[in-house]
Amino acid sequence: MITIGLPRGLYYFKHYVLWEEFFRNLGCDIVVSDETNKHILDMGVKYCSNETCLPVKVFHGHVMSLKDKVDYIFIPRYISVDKNEYTCPNFCGLPDMTALNLKNQVKILDINVHIDMFPYLILKSLKELGKVLNLEYSYVVNALKEAYLVFTKKQESSNNFEPFNSIKDKTKISLSILGHPYMIYDSYLSMKLIEKLNKRNISIYTPDNIDNITKRINAYPFQGKIFWDIGFELLGSAFTFTSNEVVDGIIYLTPFACGVDAFILEFIQRRFKSSDSLPILKLTVDEHTGEAGFDTRVEAFLDMVG
Amino acid sequence: MIVTFPHMGEMYIPIKVLLDTSDIDYIIPPYRKKESLEAGVMHSPEFACLPFKTILGDFIYGVENGANFILFGGGCGQCRLGYFGDLQSEILRSLNYRINFVCVDLSNLSIKEVLKKIQPLTKGKNKLKIVKGIIYAIKTVYMIDNLSKLSRYTRCRETNKGDTDRIISNLHENIQNEKCYRAIKLLIKSARKKIKKIPLDKARRPIKISIVGEMYVAAHPYINFEIEKKLGNMGVEVYNNLCISNWITEHLIKKMLPFKLKNKPIEAGKEFIRTDDIGGHGMHTIGWSALSGKRNIDGVIHIFPFTCLPEVIAQCTFSEIQKKYSIPIMSLIIDEMTGEAGYITRLEAFVDMLEQKKLIKYTPS
Repeated sequence: MITIGLPRGLYYFKHYVLWEEFFRNLGCDIVVSDETNKHILDMGVKYCSNETCLPVKVFHGHVMSLKDKVDYIFIPRYISVDKNEYTCPNFCGLPDMTALNLKNQVKILDINVHIDMFPYLILKSLKELGKVLNLEYSYVVNALKEAYLVFTKKQESSNNFEPFNSIKDKTKISLSILGHPYMIYDSYLSMKLIEKLNKRNISIYTPDNIDNITKRINAYPFQGKIFWDIGFELLGSAFTFTSNEVVDGIIYLTPFACGVDAFILEFIQRRFKSSDSLPILKLTVDEHTGEAGFDTRVEAFLDMVG
Repeated sequence: MIVTFPHMGEMYIPIKVLLDTSDIDYIIPPYRKKESLEAGVMHSPEFACLPFKTILGDFIYGVENGANFILFGGGCGQCRLGYFGDLQSEILRSLNYRINFVCVDLSNLSIKEVLKKIQPLTKGKNKLKIVKGIIYAIKTVYMIDNLSKLSRYTRCRETNKGDTDRIISNLHENIQNEKCYRAIKLLIKSARKKIKKIPLDKARRPIKISIVGEMYVAAHPYINFEIEKKLGNMGVEVYNNLCISNWITEHLIKKMLPFKLKNKPIEAGKEFIRTDDIGGHGMHTIGWSALSGKRNIDGVIHIFPFTCLPEVIAQCTFSEIQKKYSIPIMSLIIDEMTGEAGYITRLEAFVDMLEQKKLIKYTPS
């Protein structure tokens, strides 16, 4: 039986249900790398070229940690994930970048996802994937279709999990944490931010609590235009949270030198300044960030908010 | 309506020709002014790339000096250039400047859309003059780029150091005072003639370096500390494919052709990254580096602004390209903090290394 490795980084946090289900349908064994730890981070920093952002470095570390455990490592190439929604360039070159940085020590399976302009690219790469794994084409396509159904069902249920139009609990502070999913849900990179806030009895909202359409409608000034997918998520959430009175403040978690965040955050901050809305704390994280300083900033912000 | 526009290398000459011919008032921001760059840096997000900051600085200078119309080209895709216009107009608005900011989508340019968007500018102007202006401007772009191509050839071979630079800087001084296309054309032609008469050391075999990377930084001498001039005066022949005329050929002229031509650098780059586009000039960078290796060029200098997304990915492929084509590649990352002295040292060291390498290669053992 073939074992497939899924690195716990970047795309994994958003689409893990889809790809895990897909490979399970194909009859493969799945190995997911451990949660990020010091060792994985160090390996990532060692192998990755030094200009990339922290999540990409960590991703390299995850791939390295899987190197000897699996036959293939799955790294999809996301170019656009929906109509008008593109990804950060790091995702477009991710499979090749990883292979080159790790000096071709790992075997990589990739699937090209370019929904905006060439949706049929997925089928083409499924064909190649089928050849590599020695499986029939129609079988592979069906596996993905079924996985996609499971994925959408799961996503719908997670949206209803904590509906945003709930009424504010006045006794409790509620904060919204914004950032790339691979920053806020990776407990090592986010320095356990969600856990820490939960301990203080603070309710937390993330972009996942708002449904996709609301986010797209509120994504000023890019409604209906071409933009980054993460941009829609974050702009949309920020402006949805300000229009409701449920949230007391926003914590924006960004990796050092993230080009996409630089622009998104500027849009949010400029708008917030002019319309006297929620307080916002920007936390920049890189491989040298110390936890103590990070905590102090969060505490100061919490004092200010409530 | 008074227009202002950002600098990008010698682009101001064709834009000047266009605006003069079509009788539109304009303000040119100063070519090298620290204050306008500083204003841009102050109002930009921290991790925006240097082109964003300089362009914003130029806009602020123009608007403060009376301009009220900005025409800017954006696009779409993964490179942040597509969103420069939106963010810059947002920033200028929050600084309380009242301007008309028009953003033209360069990725799918349609003449109808452009004409509609620049209507407030062209109202009451002679249409024929505008068309004439566009044609003149494109012609000027090609003339200017050909001149700088020629100067790259002569600068490293001239017997009296500084001849080429003197003619070029003279030309730029004279162009400031000219107003019509014909005079500018004559100036460029006479400069070309003068450069051709420079005494050259024809026997000299200079080392060749090609410049790849982000287009704005590679084409704007104020930001890249005149890299072409510096290398040329060290006796290096520079190859730089990142100029406006190539961009026009590739994006406008080749798109209009009824058949599709293969894009050489992108095809060459596919050897390392198996996709068409990683945003911006990323694929071109990879492709040109690989092609330089094939074409007997001694070294490659990769130049890009700090936090440029596509170039960072391109940089990852370099270890492979260096190994495969045995061509040295040096990456220079530029931001507003880059110091000129350290930059020169790195260039000198790289050139020294290439010269040594060449010496070993051609010395019979």
